[in-house]
Amino acid sequence: MDMSQYRDLFVSESKGHIQVFNELVVMLEDSPADQSAIDELFRHAHSLKGMAATMQYQAIADLAHRMEDLLGKVRSGAFSFSPGLADILLEGSDALTAMISAIEADDERLPDTTDLINRLAGFDAAGNPSPPAPPVAAADVAPGIDDRDQGGPAPDHQPRHTDSFKSVRVKTETLDRLVNITGELLTTRYRLADRALRCEGAQLEEPLNRLSMLLRELRDEVFQARMLPFSFVADRFPRLVRDLSRKQGKEILFQVEGKEIELDRGILEEISEPLVHILRNAVDHGMEMPEERIAVGKPGLGTIRIVVTRDKDCVNIVIADDGRGMAPERLAEKAVEKGMINREQANALTRHEALMLICAPGFSTAETVSDISGRGVGMDAVRVAVHALGGGLVIESEVGRGSRFLLRLPISVSIIHALLVECGPLTVSFPVNAVKRTIELRREEIFQEREQFFFMLDGRQVPLKNLNRLLGQAPTPDARAFVPTVVIEAGDTTLGLATDRLLGQREIFVKPLGIPLSRIKGLTGGAITGDGRIVYVIDATAL
Amino acid sequence: MSNAKVMIVDDALFMRTILGTILRDKGYTVAAEAASGIETMKKLHACDPDIIFLDIILPDANGIQLLDFIHKMKPQAKVILCSAIGQEAIVKKGLDLGARFYVQKPFSPEKIAEALESLGE
Repeated sequence: MDMSQYRDLFVSESKGHIQVFNELVVMLEDSPADQSAIDELFRHAHSLKGMAATMQYQAIADLAHRMEDLLGKVRSGAFSFSPGLADILLEGSDALTAMISAIEADDERLPDTTDLINRLAGFDAAGNPSPPAPPVAAADVAPGIDDRDQGGPAPDHQPRHTDSFKSVRVKTETLDRLVNITGELLTTRYRLADRALRCEGAQLEEPLNRLSMLLRELRDEVFQARMLPFSFVADRFPRLVRDLSRKQGKEILFQVEGKEIELDRGILEEISEPLVHILRNAVDHGMEMPEERIAVGKPGLGTIRIVVTRDKDCVNIVIADDGRGMAPERLAEKAVEKGMINREQANALTRHEALMLICAPGFSTAETVSDISGRGVGMDAVRVAVHALGGGLVIESEVGRGSRFLLRLPISVSIIHALLVECGPLTVSFPVNAVKRTIELRREEIFQEREQFFFMLDGRQVPLKNLNRLLGQAPTPDARAFVPTVVIEAGDTTLGLATDRLLGQREIFVKPLGIPLSRIKGLTGGAITGDGRIVYVIDATAL
Repeated sequence: MSNAKVMIVDDALFMRTILGTILRDKGYTVAAEAASGIETMKKLHACDPDIIFLDIILPDANGIQLLDFIHKMKPQAKVILCSAIGQEAIVKKGLDLGARFYVQKPFSPEKIAEALESLGE
């Protein structure tokens, strides 16, 4: 029987088993007596063994078999779940992952696991610190038979099983193509509407409206199909935090709230590494050693929490720790030492601006560079990634109390609602969620202090800048009675941008810019309008 | 060739896919698939299978409990137990309780043919 056609299915389903397996091991460390979780672990190892044997991947089947055996002993009460057991099981699942990745990459040379298999086989005798095995009760029950009451509701860690007839697996590239096609359709619809205006197309109005409506529905459905729960990236975090904290001797309670909230998989992909970086920082630099915490009157067990909430078209992700926190004045001091800013600039920084210094390229607060942090993705890369997605990053911190990183992200990318603005010969756009409002300022409402222009908005003094000048375009020639102004919000600052003309809102299909345009600061992408012009999307925070 | 209706119960889509392919190649109709005990209970009545391939380790039930349920709901359905190596005790109990045959994973068309022959198919 030719098994190669089942390889992709084997790889993807095996990865699913290993993912849940890892989560369960970490969970069991907190509640080692959870019998149903132990049963679950056993079942995943058992399933992997059967699947690997079917594919004739004997090395994987052997390893999974040893893990299953070991879990069988825990299950029957021969010994209890211990941190040492968790370590060897995670080592096993890492080895399984490595082998499955090798298969996925068409690499026939699977890693050698003989040593691990021997250690798994001899685990009971090899210094497992658990108490001697309690006698196995109910001799008439054969090992492996689960006679406990199964009538209650399923434990919440049980993986969901989709109805096999109502769902299908779709390659992610197919979903990406669907978004592309939908985007192109939207652009085409605007072109069609543009032509219709010019050729007495009154009778086209009704079908065009209908087309718009259908396209909106199509877009919503396509986007929905791309949505994945936050757990898609967050499920590996407990393992990450556990491994890091064990390595450093720190004790951390890690919690994630709002795992079920859905985001576009493109956004999840982009945000995964930045979140890992923030978490690493929290464990590595934010969290103190238990004795240090106790000495200042805090509980020895530190807490790191991720809370995800949905707010209209955005998702807020907060990563908070109760560690040592950061002192803005020390960060400013360090930036001066590194020659990034001068003393005068340092003194003028607001608290928030000083905290945001950690996102400046080349800035690191770590006393030593350990292997845990500093692996390529710095906080500057985090900021860039968040802004590239049209999101925002805010940092709050208090010395002795901990730090909070607030990420605000759109739930989906590519097709955005944007405000189009004329700027010299260019048409540029702002994502609507970055725009606070638009106003037409009268000349006399604008006033000057030193070199800077301002206007009043809701009783606050707001700086006004000329968009043409910021983007290096010729200034508007004639003096106008009214200045069309876009008020944008970036982080906690508000800024007015004087433009040539406001063109209104529309949906645009944003594509990434190629080199050299992608190197221009402040531009995140481009779109094509109905009449064939290119519209650049502005990253308001970069201005 | 047979026109018997078959139900496949296994928590792994991978296993259901392979077994389904083997069965369809032999001319059987796969009337339903289920990945858990609950799903089996829900689908059993509607699909009314003649033959059930039953994995004995499932997320929410074991094969013995499910076997009992199947016998009560569909006494005429013939059950073939499936499992990877290492579950001999539970398999034996299942066979004592009326399962017709046992197929050890990994599946092969020959093993499946042998199981079906044992049912007189």
